Amino acid sequence: MIKSGELIESTNEMTPEYLRELKHTLIVSGDTELISAPAYYLAAKRAPSINAFMTGIAIIQDELAHAHIAYHILEELGEDQEKLIFSRDPKSFRYPYAFDVPLDSWTELVVANGFYDQAGFCLLGDIHDKCSYGPWKRGLNKVMLEENFHLRNGRTWMKRISAAGGAAKDELQRAVDWMFPLSVEWFGLPDSKKMHSTQLEYRLKGLTNDELRQWWLSTVVPFCEQIGVKVPSHKETRDGKDVWELDYPFPCEFDAEAKRWDFQQPITWDDVLGRWRARGPRNAEMVAMFQEEFHNFRKTHKRDS
Amino acid sequence: MTSGYKRVSGDAVEYEVFARKSRVDALHLVGSVVAPDDDLAMAYARATYDEERWCEMAIVRKEHVIELWQPGEA
Repeated sequence: MIKSGELIESTNEMTPEYLRELKHTLIVSGDTELISAPAYYLAAKRAPSINAFMTGIAIIQDELAHAHIAYHILEELGEDQEKLIFSRDPKSFRYPYAFDVPLDSWTELVVANGFYDQAGFCLLGDIHDKCSYGPWKRGLNKVMLEENFHLRNGRTWMKRISAAGGAAKDELQRAVDWMFPLSVEWFGLPDSKKMHSTQLEYRLKGLTNDELRQWWLSTVVPFCEQIGVKVPSHKETRDGKDVWELDYPFPCEFDAEAKRWDFQQPITWDDVLGRWRARGPRNAEMVAMFQEEFHNFRKTHKRDS
Repeated sequence: MTSGYKRVSGDAVEYEVFARKSRVDALHLVGSVVAPDDDLAMAYARATYDEERWCEMAIVRKEHVIELWQPGEA
């Protein structure tokens, strides 16, 4: 059924392995959308105008709705939505490491919209296109429309800040310098290290990690060059095909506190996986932002009844 | 299929959300919400599915939908 391109519509049609892999993919998607809300909110507070702030808030509201779509599908598959969101240990959330590094300014927020939302757009666009689970494929219609708007906000502001020049442009370049390699890492292990993908086999996604990374690079690098921002990647033509090469060792050492990459210091993928598993500086604070109120509410509610 | 959900605020049920963009379109399923009552379900539907300027939106309690058959049963 999966091979013929048909859609799976209910748990009766799934093997236990398909169900497990689908749930895992949905958790990564839901967690990523959810964590982007506190990450973006902490930076949106630094918006340069009320209008800019309102745009930031509208984006956060979209992200929460996207998280809701993923978690609700999980709920229909037998998971407890409130437990998933409010009772899990912060370290067990499965979102990209990039969100754990604080976004401290409006500039960093708009680069996140330009880079991270582009990564989300590639990953979810692929799922929207290829996913074998009908309810998720259809749920993503709304998500794709809105991610496009986030991306536009990121690009419009990046272009504006770059055109302003001076200190504003320097700040933009500094943000790009640490956020670009983090977004490249977002797509995970290179295909050469990842021999087998159950997600591809079950058509939960259609493109490999490297294909998704190339797609991201092919949109982000030309855009940055066009607005006069430097990025450590260039295009080469190989066998008549455009290939985006990185100008630094991948993977390499990252200092999350200083937001600085050491391109002289190549590391192994085991080192990267270790950093991801340990989570980054803002993980606990962000998860507490949505978990604390839930538990306060529950305590008050219990006292009342 | 589950029809009842537990929320911190109490029991809740699922509502299907239908909408259409223009008069020539047919009403179609755009998603669902889980809420303790019709009023909150309407508020959630409006806030969650705001990706278009819908000319019509309606919600139906999922348990009120009468299934004749499902994919794979026809």
